[in-house]
Amino acid sequence: MAEGLRLSHTSAMILQAVGTGHVYGYTVIAVTGLASGTVYPALRRLEGDELLRSEWERQSTADAALRPPRKYYRLTPSGEAALEISRKRYPLLSKLAPLTEVEDV
Amino acid sequence: MSIGWMPHLILRTASLLAPADRRAEWVREWRSELWYIPPDGAARFCLGAFPDALWVRRNHASPVKGAAIHLASPLSCLAFLAIVAALSLAITLLLPAPGLPDIPQRLRARDLPAGCCAMLIFSSTMLPVLWLVMGRAPSHFHQVPWPNRVRSGIFLVLKIALVHPIVLASFLLAISLNHVVPIAALGIFSTSVFALRWVLIDQRERCPVCLRLLTDPVRIGTASQTLLEWYGGESACSRGHGLLHRAEIPSSYSAYPQWHRQDASWQGLFLEGVGRQ
Repeated sequence: MAEGLRLSHTSAMILQAVGTGHVYGYTVIAVTGLASGTVYPALRRLEGDELLRSEWERQSTADAALRPPRKYYRLTPSGEAALEISRKRYPLLSKLAPLTEVEDV
Repeated sequence: MSIGWMPHLILRTASLLAPADRRAEWVREWRSELWYIPPDGAARFCLGAFPDALWVRRNHASPVKGAAIHLASPLSCLAFLAIVAALSLAITLLLPAPGLPDIPQRLRARDLPAGCCAMLIFSSTMLPVLWLVMGRAPSHFHQVPWPNRVRSGIFLVLKIALVHPIVLASFLLAISLNHVVPIAALGIFSTSVFALRWVLIDQRERCPVCLRLLTDPVRIGTASQTLLEWYGGESACSRGHGLLHRAEIPSSYSAYPQWHRQDASWQGLFLEGVGRQ
């Protein structure tokens, strides 16, 4: 599926952001500078295309940090393949700073 | 003055655009994200909830969509029609009445029943033509019990009664617009035909047992099998009461839509299917 898929620059940026560890909607917004009205529908569409999968954070993890649980996104194997193709098409994608914030989810 | 309530108000308003069965999850997701947003950017962040809610609505797969949700069951259909009829009657009282000497400038509440009856008589003149154009109603292969037929008849009569306030309002609207748009008077005929045609089509699209709208239309067979077997569309009652077969090209053995009643042993299977959806 990924071979034939041509992602828009916005979708590629979002995939890259998730791929570099910005796994929450707001962190994707913060790192890409896109509007919330763009990012959340795009995340849903990418999830529908099976390039991303989402899960809710464990309640215990959120309770321990005294905050509400968040929904986080991860790349699927198809998403990784699509991102690899997009990186060749949009070389500047690799400028998005990586982040490691997914250990506790 | 603190406006901390503003983002929540925006989210609450936007949530009305999200489909009802996904609203709770949608609100939960946005609220959890909102928790992390600095207060000065929260309202701007929440404005993005509107396009997101619209996206979710547009891409929401539902077994029965849009208006059909309100019209699927007979009671909700009648309730919906009653609300529209009440609104139409309220509009009727605001519109100018036809300029005849013995009719006041505006209709009074006590004139409304007579007005609706006049519309009923007017539309009933078109009923025979509609019956001819629309063809025969589905034949019931296995006889439907008489209580169900009585219920179906009552439902049809109530629907006809409830669409006539709407026709009356359109009649007065067409007359008042006729000064501006000379062909507006044609709207009187088209509204009556449209309303009655909808009532009859809706009746034919319902299960004769539970009167719910039939769902899951599928195509059966292919054109090349016409000589061997019928082909066309099949719709099912979501409660498993039966199937409606409509031939694409009527033939001697499938000239009219046919209702095939299923026995009670099928109903569990259908209810499970509905539950899964």
